[in-house]
Amino acid sequence: MKAFIRFFTSIRLAIVLLIILAVASVLGTLIPQQRSLEEYAVRYGRLASPLIRLQMTQLYHSIWYLALLGLFALNIIVCTLTRLSPKWRRAVKPHILAESKSLLALKVKDRYRKSAPLSEVKADLEKSLASSRYRLRTEAKDAKVHLLARKKILGIFGSDVVHLGLLIILAGGIFSGLTSIRKELAIKEGQTLPVPRAFFEIRLDKFTTEYYPDGSVKAWKSAVTVLEKAAPVLAKTIVVNKPLTYRGYSFYQSSFGWDWDDPRLEIWAKKKSDPAFLKKLKLKVGEKIQLDDKDQTSIAVARFIPDFVLGEGNEPQTRSLQPNNPAAYVEGYRGEEKIFSGWIFANFPDMDRIHATKETDLSFELKNFEAGQYSVLEAAKDPGVNLIWIGCVLTMLGLGLAFYWPPWEIKAVLEESQGKTEVIAGGIAAKSRDSFQSEFEKIMTSARRTK
Amino acid sequence: MNESTLFVITFILYILSAFFYLGFLFSKKPNWAKNGSALAIFGLITHTAALIVRTIESGHAPFTNMYESLSFLSWASVLAYVVIDKKFKIPKIGPYLMLIVIGLVALASSPLMPKQATPLVPALQSYWLWLHVSVTLLGEAFFAVAFITSMMYLAAKEADKKEKWDSVSYRCVAVGFPLFTLGGLVFGMVWAYKAWGTYWSWDPKEVWSLITWFVFALYLHTRIVMGWKGKRSAVIAIIGFLAALFTYFGVNYLLTGLHSYA
Repeated sequence: MKAFIRFFTSIRLAIVLLIILAVASVLGTLIPQQRSLEEYAVRYGRLASPLIRLQMTQLYHSIWYLALLGLFALNIIVCTLTRLSPKWRRAVKPHILAESKSLLALKVKDRYRKSAPLSEVKADLEKSLASSRYRLRTEAKDAKVHLLARKKILGIFGSDVVHLGLLIILAGGIFSGLTSIRKELAIKEGQTLPVPRAFFEIRLDKFTTEYYPDGSVKAWKSAVTVLEKAAPVLAKTIVVNKPLTYRGYSFYQSSFGWDWDDPRLEIWAKKKSDPAFLKKLKLKVGEKIQLDDKDQTSIAVARFIPDFVLGEGNEPQTRSLQPNNPAAYVEGYRGEEKIFSGWIFANFPDMDRIHATKETDLSFELKNFEAGQYSVLEAAKDPGVNLIWIGCVLTMLGLGLAFYWPPWEIKAVLEESQGKTEVIAGGIAAKSRDSFQSEFEKIMTSARRTK
Repeated sequence: MNESTLFVITFILYILSAFFYLGFLFSKKPNWAKNGSALAIFGLITHTAALIVRTIESGHAPFTNMYESLSFLSWASVLAYVVIDKKFKIPKIGPYLMLIVIGLVALASSPLMPKQATPLVPALQSYWLWLHVSVTLLGEAFFAVAFITSMMYLAAKEADKKEKWDSVSYRCVAVGFPLFTLGGLVFGMVWAYKAWGTYWSWDPKEVWSLITWFVFALYLHTRIVMGWKGKRSAVIAIIGFLAALFTYFGVNYLLTGLHSYA
């Protein structure tokens, strides 16, 4: 049991966890995440069901991955706290007393003797140390004076600050997961939509797509107005990378699409027998229009499909919401009697699939189609995000302290005998030892020289 | 002078630099290394000019497709090497680093990489593009130097040389790790939040950055707390660089996700 607790609170566990987390994370990038059951069945066959049961298909949200992260967080807390109290003592109540022998055993050391009283030599040394911005503490014991000079002592807390930052980031992640609201709002021009769980609404005034000269998309712009109790309070244009923020909510330009439910179509009617006959019809789906020919034919469009494809059972359906293969289902009536009907295609004007019950020599072309665009705005409220930024700042600050603010420490023992004072000094630096050594030498030379 | 001319001049200077460094490797004459280093610095200058010209011509940051990003990575690697060499005097890694850089530049110039500057897609129109990509690639360049010095450690025989390679590797990681954390993870999260409204989506590139980060965290903890040095440290640094390399290259070509720009 003791051994278990020792392992649980040890850095060894942290290392084991880092390895396991890394390997598990790799797995999650090799197995496609959060796809359909059918896709997994095709891809993995009999392995699919054990993979799904082990939550390998939503690995980063699986209980075991989250448990690993939780254990990792606990381990960080325990390891940091157990190391914190000795560090705190070292920062606040350091040992000032030192053995001359142990100082002389250090790599960075010096020893000199001056024909001056101790107080004078001490003052010189202190002045020299202070000019290099060392903070000094002294203690007298057994006729010797011990001196401790330190700088950049905050550096010893670098790793603790990093760990605190990481814990706050993890906490922010949990907080985000529990409290964040995220909803895609598909919104047409002129439409007003309520924002989920908020007391205001958003209206799309205009949606535009701008293009570069080469035809690629330059920008999607949604001009919106925020309304409170039906009164406009704020107007802004939302662009990718420039969201609108209001009352803790952010609105992002996420996507766009065409409103194919109510397209405006232009259909040309021709007669095979009469090349001069041409009627340009502008109509909507469900609208019936008189052709004004001698047979008193009227035309209606029953259905419009932006990306026509034949699905299962030869059922017409749309493959996407992009106008890749627009098709209209045209119906012809004489009075109330339907005399012909069929699909016409904008991309294939010659492919006329009109089935007639009575003889007709009319043919149709789908010349134009227009649909209002709608913009998809993502409304998001994530109170956890502030914790994330605090955690990031602390992490970077801690890394800076840990790598580039190394504590430097100089200890000295001064002893007076027969009017002469001997100084034995040694220095310790965890990092940047070369620059520490040269600073140490500079300080000692100047302390020796001063009268 | 236009960008492609400057790029070709840079390429030639890097090749000459590698040639002199290789000469140093075989002849052991310090003059060869000096010439190699001078040529690398000249190359760095013309390369910098090429990047500036490209930025002015295209009107956006010079790392929006694979060609630009490879060019910038090779620039950052030479810069990282010049900085580390100035501080620690390690001309021995010059030939290896220059050969890698030549490989990157050659890959960038290959017909596989479309060189034409294309207008910026909406998702990349942000100043975070500058911060996120440049700092991340600079961090990865220091990992690349750490990779070479770790290889040198494994190849070295004498104890004092081994100690030197070990310490230089650590110093490279000490520069690369904070840069990578800041550029790759922190700036990446900030930008993702600005553009998509979510700071983390478990996108493969994000996950691989995290894996790279885990490996270098492992490097630091085993080293500082458990006192691992030398061989085991070198192996972890090598794995870390390979993870960074996969984050940079592999994810784009082998996995799909949100980072499908470059």
